[in-house]
Amino acid sequence: MFENSTSPFRSHRRSLLKSVAAGFGGVALNALCQQAAASEIGGSPFHFTPRAKRVIFMFMKGGPSQVDTFDYKPQLQKDDGKPLPFAKPRVQFAPTGNLLGSPWRFRQYGQSGIPVSELFPNVAQLVDDICFLNSVHGTNSAHGGAALKLHTGSDNFVRPSMGAWVSYGLGTENHNLPSFVTICPTLAHGGVNNWGSAFLPAQHQGIPLGVASQPATAAAVKYIANPKWSTAAQRTQLDLLRELNQQHLLQTADDVAMEARIHSYELAFRMQSEMPRLQDLTQETKETQDMYGLNEKMTENFARQCLMARRFAEAGVRFIQVTHSDSFVQWDQHGDLRKGHTKNAAEVDKPIAGLLRDLKQRGLLEDTLVLWGGEFGRTPTAQGTTDGRDHNPEGFTMWMAGGGVKGGTRYGATDEYGYYATEKPMHMHDVHATLLHLMGLDHKRLTYRYAGRDFRLTDVAGDVHHGVFS
Amino acid sequence: MPACQPRTTLHERLPKRTLAAVLIALAIFSRSISGQEPAAQKSTSDAFAAAKPLLEKHCHSCHGPEKQEGNLRLDTVQGLSIGGKSGAVLVPGKADESLLVTAVRRTDPSLEMPPEEKLPDTDVQVLIDWIQQGAKHPDGQIVLSPPKPPFDLEEARKFWAFQPLPLPLTSPDNSSHAIDHWVNSTLAAKGLNQNSPADKLTLIRRATFDLTGLPPSREEIQQFLNDESPDAYSRLIDRLLATPQYGERWARHWLDVVRYADSNGLDENIAHGNAWRYRNYVIESLNRDKPFDLFLREQIAGDLMIDDSTDEATRIERLTATGFLSLGPKVLAEGDETKMQLDIIDEQIDTIGKSMLGLTIGCARCHDHKFDPIAQADYYALSGIFQSTKTMESLKRIAKWNENSVATAADKQALEQHQAKINAKKSDIDTLIKTATASAGESKNVPEDQFPEDVRKQLTTLRDELKTLEQSVPELPTAMGVTDGEMSNGRILPRGNHLAPGRLMNRTIPVVLDRDGSFKAEDTHSGRLEFAQWMTSEKNPLTARVIANRVWRWHFSRGLVATADNFGKLGEAPSHRELLEWLSAELVRSGWSLKSLHRTIMLSETYQASSDTNAAAEALDPDNRWLWRWTPRRLEAESVRDSVLAATGVLDRSMGTSMLHVKNREFLFDHTSKDLTKYDSNRRSIYLPVIRNNLYDAMSLFDCTDGTVPNGDRASSTVASQALFFMNSGLVIQAADECASRLLQQFPDNEQQRVEQLFWQTLGRAPSVNESQAISSAIPKVTERLRSDGVAENDLARAVWTNIVQTLLMSNEFLYVK
Repeated sequence: MFENSTSPFRSHRRSLLKSVAAGFGGVALNALCQQAAASEIGGSPFHFTPRAKRVIFMFMKGGPSQVDTFDYKPQLQKDDGKPLPFAKPRVQFAPTGNLLGSPWRFRQYGQSGIPVSELFPNVAQLVDDICFLNSVHGTNSAHGGAALKLHTGSDNFVRPSMGAWVSYGLGTENHNLPSFVTICPTLAHGGVNNWGSAFLPAQHQGIPLGVASQPATAAAVKYIANPKWSTAAQRTQLDLLRELNQQHLLQTADDVAMEARIHSYELAFRMQSEMPRLQDLTQETKETQDMYGLNEKMTENFARQCLMARRFAEAGVRFIQVTHSDSFVQWDQHGDLRKGHTKNAAEVDKPIAGLLRDLKQRGLLEDTLVLWGGEFGRTPTAQGTTDGRDHNPEGFTMWMAGGGVKGGTRYGATDEYGYYATEKPMHMHDVHATLLHLMGLDHKRLTYRYAGRDFRLTDVAGDVHHGVFS
Repeated sequence: MPACQPRTTLHERLPKRTLAAVLIALAIFSRSISGQEPAAQKSTSDAFAAAKPLLEKHCHSCHGPEKQEGNLRLDTVQGLSIGGKSGAVLVPGKADESLLVTAVRRTDPSLEMPPEEKLPDTDVQVLIDWIQQGAKHPDGQIVLSPPKPPFDLEEARKFWAFQPLPLPLTSPDNSSHAIDHWVNSTLAAKGLNQNSPADKLTLIRRATFDLTGLPPSREEIQQFLNDESPDAYSRLIDRLLATPQYGERWARHWLDVVRYADSNGLDENIAHGNAWRYRNYVIESLNRDKPFDLFLREQIAGDLMIDDSTDEATRIERLTATGFLSLGPKVLAEGDETKMQLDIIDEQIDTIGKSMLGLTIGCARCHDHKFDPIAQADYYALSGIFQSTKTMESLKRIAKWNENSVATAADKQALEQHQAKINAKKSDIDTLIKTATASAGESKNVPEDQFPEDVRKQLTTLRDELKTLEQSVPELPTAMGVTDGEMSNGRILPRGNHLAPGRLMNRTIPVVLDRDGSFKAEDTHSGRLEFAQWMTSEKNPLTARVIANRVWRWHFSRGLVATADNFGKLGEAPSHRELLEWLSAELVRSGWSLKSLHRTIMLSETYQASSDTNAAAEALDPDNRWLWRWTPRRLEAESVRDSVLAATGVLDRSMGTSMLHVKNREFLFDHTSKDLTKYDSNRRSIYLPVIRNNLYDAMSLFDCTDGTVPNGDRASSTVASQALFFMNSGLVIQAADECASRLLQQFPDNEQQRVEQLFWQTLGRAPSVNESQAISSAIPKVTERLRSDGVAENDLARAVWTNIVQTLLMSNEFLYVK
């Protein structure tokens, strides 16, 4: 039902179906569209053999510090307090001072021996499943621009988000669910544009469950529950509606749009029970819950998001985003790095490790691409009077796991202090290109014509980094 | 579209040259500060004689007869005229604008010459003097030729959309309406027939929604049905055009095109606290049927269309109109201020191009347009007009847009009076203190606590009153808008990169549009006024075509040019070209009256055709491109909500100002993600805040535009979330409840009358026998259901009827116009 009626691989019936385009949920006339699909796709939607079928993106709002987590820099520790021996970027968010060594110790883990700081003791156990992208860089040093760039590939125009592109390219695996959900997203710094579909058909936009200011327990699709009628009363109502609509349909003769709308009420009615069922975490065993840290105060909220993400992944949602963001800019430690990062990492470390383990034990990690990261990293130089670090888009770390990536590797590198991406620099456009490639999509061929031009997630840039693949 | 933003890639990092790069980048936008004046005027030959050895010694080895690095040679007049890869190497008379000077001054790290080491300042000055005095050369005159367009100009101008409008064009067949003439001849050629006219009931519903966005009332319908005079329909159109709701409906269409919003969106979502003034200006302009050409000119250059003799209302209107230019989303926290300004200008060019010209000029920011005859040089020539326009008050993070005062004399007087009251109060306080001091017989200060008690009390009262006054100083109203700023021309930025500026362009319009080459921006002004005048002159056929097509699109759900915002090569060719030409010419002939255009369109048989379908026509033309029927359409987002409120009797028809919960320039929501914007008003949807980054879901669910880019062709989707909205939203349930309560009051004992009234209110007609029966048999079922759900007997009737009313609101017929 979330039929992807306007995917680039079908075009003939586009004009007919445009007016009844599906969405959350698309009501693309199941039968009609599937016929269309069968007769017109005549092949697969993929440009390459896909390594991953779905994405779980864990967005760390605010910009976690790379040099305090996954990008160990012994030289930085050594030169703590000294001036940076090379120039700072042309455009900086704010002035910073001398080098600031990481207050956290690093240890090597796993067979790969990748060093991880003591902030992430649980994720550290899984380094052999993770490919750390140590050379990611962006172009914007402010939260808004950087978050937009990360989510949509553009920081100055409203463009479709990466989840929307993936949905557009591949559609959904479950016609009773949206293809793209985002759990507790933040409205600041780009807001809906970070999960919107812009000029792509509406069914590809991310469906938000709650917002960042709400606890994950309150995360729900808007209008999913009725405040006045029981399910049975609503059923009675829909029966009358159907009768009136049928009579209307007789007068207007066959009209695709009218029929689609009749279906849309039935689909909505089913979704009302389907979504809460998927979000009901009491159906999970105590062991599973504990693995995510669902029953501990510190980790409960993010654990809930991660566990929901797994359930959505299992149910066939194509792109799932979870967001770690409180009422401030969670990872934005311009000051109080020690306190802030300690708390932030403690909230997510166990849930993330739980999710990876759970996906693995269910055989889902093989074809689920997990992406972790913030909109930028932080400077190795100090800011403020207490310990603090400024925004740094010049070189930072994101990581991928599962879905065809090479675990136990560090891909690319920053300079000896972790300021600039120096080895195999991976621009955000490259991250997008690589992610699409893993999904079986060529970022140069996944295009949509709008306002006289073919648009891409990667604009006119983006290189696939094959070194990331297993 | 500003396709690809300029990339200042990290790989181009030049840390050691940071400062210089910033300086040069800033210099591009500030009015050029001339180098020192030459100490003494030497003869021109002297100036060159002095410069020549320097050129020979430092330049000719790489840019001379042997080698021409960067395609540049400096040893001939021709070479000096043509310049090199980066454009013109010098501008005679303008040293500051000459790349040669930039290079020898070494202010741009990407352009430092000679490469080995900097010339002594005295030598640099010699070169500056030579250029400043006109760069005279003994071998001839250095003449900068404009960059040659990268396309065949004559060929490009043959494209249909660029051709002059044939004026006036008459229908060759006088027996029928011109519109029908062209539509029918096309239909005949395709083997199709147009449907017969729709019945009156359908027509009044169609026309009322179309012109006002609201359903007709039962009385209006009855009146129209009873009116059997031949001009009943024509008078209906006149009546609708005269309602204030017309402006509210059609202003919303225009707001789509100008990406209207009450907040900035993008990175820092702060309130456009005064955007509503622009919105109301649009509504009022349309209601007054302001000539559309004037309407456009005001939006581009209203601030330049006023002088001391302009009356107050007009002055305010014109200043407010320029809000058009500043409503766009801006990256207000961009750390690179030059880039910020370029992005803002780009957004303006993109919006003007699409909204008024149907051209994607923004595509030429980084390279020549791939499909349309617009060169990068054209883009930067045009950008100079907006560089010379003050859109921003400050570029410092968080940047502030400019606002113009729109205070009336009365506002100013009120402020003065208030100020006078404050002063009076202060002097009362002073007097009281002086008197008290004097009566204490002391010459010096007496502490206030030694004043008599009644004086102290009086003082406290006075001070409280003063405080109240000071806290309630009326704010003089301002409106988002522009003025002319520092004059400055645009430099071509290869690949859009502002760190490597190329040649300077005079402020003008794209060459393909400047047919007779007569466009000229005065040196002392931005050129916006001339641009606005050109925009609506007979020299520019695009504007009339684009708006005529837009109006057609909004009446028929599909433009004659289906890509309403793109008339370029990648746009669709017109389905009925003569018809579009005729409509455009007709619009101009009528003095750009939109109301006249509506009348012309709506009186055609094509507009009045029924929406019935038939298999034969459906097979030949499923999209109804050839107009064999009127295409049924789903209500637009605003009409969905307005109709729910109108049908249930709770719509508030008064005009609104700002409904934002925060003040101008304050954050709508920052890091909290708590959006406290309220939408609980019963006013029409056009008055609700448009919050970028978090649109009101009742709007966004039904394909309302997101207010970030021009969009004259809204989608019309069918998604399950729309069903959820009708099933479960408070808005629909409360409206249904309110309506149920009224129906029960109105017809306490007669269920059949209630059903009838409900059908009239929601669907604009009486129920059929089958429908009445369906409702009658549903009522006991619903009653039983709700009773067993525990609804109290006293509340039961209202709950049952709420349920029934809601069902009608959910029905397809409610949501579609046929």
